[in-house]
Amino acid sequence: MTTHDAIFVKNLHKNYGKNPAVQGIRFTVHSGEIFSLLGPNGAGKTTTISMLSGLTEPDEGDAFLMGHSIRLESQVARALVGVVPQEIALYMDLSARENLLFWGKMYGLGGAILRQRVDETLEIIGLTGRQKERVATFSGGMKRRVNIGVALLHRPQIVIMDEPTVGIDPQSRRHILDSVKELNRQGMTVLYTTHYMEEAQEISDHIAIMDQGKLIACGTHAELIRLVGEQARLELTLNADPSLVMQHWQMLEGVQQVSRSDGHVTVLAEDSNLILPRLFEAASQIKTRITSVEIQEPNLETVFLQLTGKALRD
Amino acid sequence: MKMIAIALKDIKQSFRSFFAVGMMLGAPLLITGLIYFAFSGLTSGKAGSDLPTLKVAVVNLDRPAANQQNFGALLITFLNDKRMPDWLHTSELPDESTTRSEIDRQEIGAAVIVPVDFSSSILSANGSTGITILQDPTLTIGPSVLKDLLTQFTDGINGGKIAVTVASSQLASNGVKVNSAMQQGIIQNYSNWYSDLSTDIHHGQEPELVVQPPHLQSSTPVASSGTNPVANMMAQIMAGMLIFFAFFTGAYAAQSILREDENGTLPRLFSTPTQRSTILAGKLLAVFSIVLVQSIVLMTLASIAFHINWGQPLSTTLVVLGQVVAASGFGILLISLVKNSRQAGAVVGGVISSTGLLGGLFSASVPNMPGFFNNITHFTPQGWVMDGWKAALAGNPAGQTIPTFLVLLFIGIFFFAAGSVIFSRRFA
Repeated sequence: MTTHDAIFVKNLHKNYGKNPAVQGIRFTVHSGEIFSLLGPNGAGKTTTISMLSGLTEPDEGDAFLMGHSIRLESQVARALVGVVPQEIALYMDLSARENLLFWGKMYGLGGAILRQRVDETLEIIGLTGRQKERVATFSGGMKRRVNIGVALLHRPQIVIMDEPTVGIDPQSRRHILDSVKELNRQGMTVLYTTHYMEEAQEISDHIAIMDQGKLIACGTHAELIRLVGEQARLELTLNADPSLVMQHWQMLEGVQQVSRSDGHVTVLAEDSNLILPRLFEAASQIKTRITSVEIQEPNLETVFLQLTGKALRD
Repeated sequence: MKMIAIALKDIKQSFRSFFAVGMMLGAPLLITGLIYFAFSGLTSGKAGSDLPTLKVAVVNLDRPAANQQNFGALLITFLNDKRMPDWLHTSELPDESTTRSEIDRQEIGAAVIVPVDFSSSILSANGSTGITILQDPTLTIGPSVLKDLLTQFTDGINGGKIAVTVASSQLASNGVKVNSAMQQGIIQNYSNWYSDLSTDIHHGQEPELVVQPPHLQSSTPVASSGTNPVANMMAQIMAGMLIFFAFFTGAYAAQSILREDENGTLPRLFSTPTQRSTILAGKLLAVFSIVLVQSIVLMTLASIAFHINWGQPLSTTLVVLGQVVAASGFGILLISLVKNSRQAGAVVGGVISSTGLLGGLFSASVPNMPGFFNNITHFTPQGWVMDGWKAALAGNPAGQTIPTFLVLLFIGIFFFAAGSVIFSRRFA
């Protein structure tokens, strides 16, 4: 841990009953960066964030927020963080302004400073004109924006966002992603969890990939891509059961991995132009037709597939 | 400050909820209002005050013997009593013919003719007499009420006469000769008994008008004015409603802890730099405040709408505080024992209704409840609150409500503490 580290996670463990949710993860988030935790549902992202935001006590290990232990100085650590929970956690029967005023008080603000911060936050989330309306009357995207606004009121040094774009329209998603980048430009460190590869790829300085409670890879986008050797990913749909043809494809030269999911077959290969004719030929020999082909250049999905043997969305 | 902010937020949310306001204020007022209108007019102690004035003339022809009770004069005193309805104006006229002509000219609405032998017939062993009522045929309600009043008067006299006859006969069989002084004593005893009987029949603490010899009237305690048995009954019904809905509100307000947990706002509160004990204290303060506001508003509205006199201010204050503490504590403990707000709906309804029933909230105005039932009521906090209200409504001073207040304070604090411990462990 250095003085430039905003978050230092050290061997965190958490079990729910006999089920391990987080198993000894360790990572560092530098000050002023956007760090994404990427992984499928159930990977342990929310549990990790719950421990960092003081909601859940770790079974083992510790984490430090701006140098303050979440176990020994939880009150101080919590004051440095703004948490945006996955679910919308607002009072629906209060107006947007009333919500912000209340949450501001919970973060220790008061008087003229509180009112000023509320006005600024309403400006940031673009709801100044509707501040007196009850949150219950807002669209899902607007509620999400208020949800984020609550975490920004006390100008935290670290903002932790737990899948803030789940279940919202593309316009609101765009607004939220732009807001995250803007907050980062203003100097806030952002810890962002998502299971959308594109989001992590777009906004993150560093990405950690989680699966089954473990951190399986961590680095910049380019570093993670290099992990899988910059392979191309081909998704093919067949007109018959793929079991036999998958065996043939596995033996072809240049094919790195063949897997099956959601009714199609995924092939990882070094050179898609070279391998594609061979795939058609092998399928033809056993009288199987390829009905569609989609080629993807190496990305985080490919990385996840390579590291876990399953697709990120599974 | 954070604790107060949490409490104020909860209070604001509660009073913005149509359901909560309906159950806190609307339902108890509506139920009591329906009962009130069923007994409309009787509750104010001014029964029939909207009736037009009835001028009644009494022609007292009664000529009792010397040293004999003058029942004709007693009747006039009875009709002029200050507890008679405001619309009944009684005067005297000298003879029946004048009276009839005044009725014909509609200068008076009714007349009561007391015969010459009225007193002597009453006091003779086998005498028989009667009062004649004349009335304007265009009037109905006023003369009917007058007739009922005169029936009450004569029932009292007849009862007294029977009492004297029976007592004289029993004393004579034992060789005792009954003189005038002894007869007066018998009449007084009968009057006392009749007073108690009337009290019990009307389930109230105020005796009906009692026929008594004139020399006893000055020493007879006069009941407090401005109330009547039905008004007392209304006050007890409203007190029952007040208690029932205070306990319901206590539990409903405490449910906000479960609702916040389910909506994610409680975990979010825990992620702020606010101590969990402060958050819980804020929630408890909110429950207490909501029940207190509800009690004050309900009592004020009930006083205005139903003319309920809640008793001496200090006694009432002690009972209200005891009620609020007990209801809040009970609500916190009850909600701490349920898993979620869905389960809480059924549990709160069932527990509050059953403990309210056992606490005697729905039978407060029913007389002569079995003794064991009165004992059972003290196994519920509602029963203790009802005890406090009965004492306050009877006009008792604060000294008599302090023991009940202390019991309620203990119950409330104990429940508060138990509920808080359970919640603290749950959200640790």
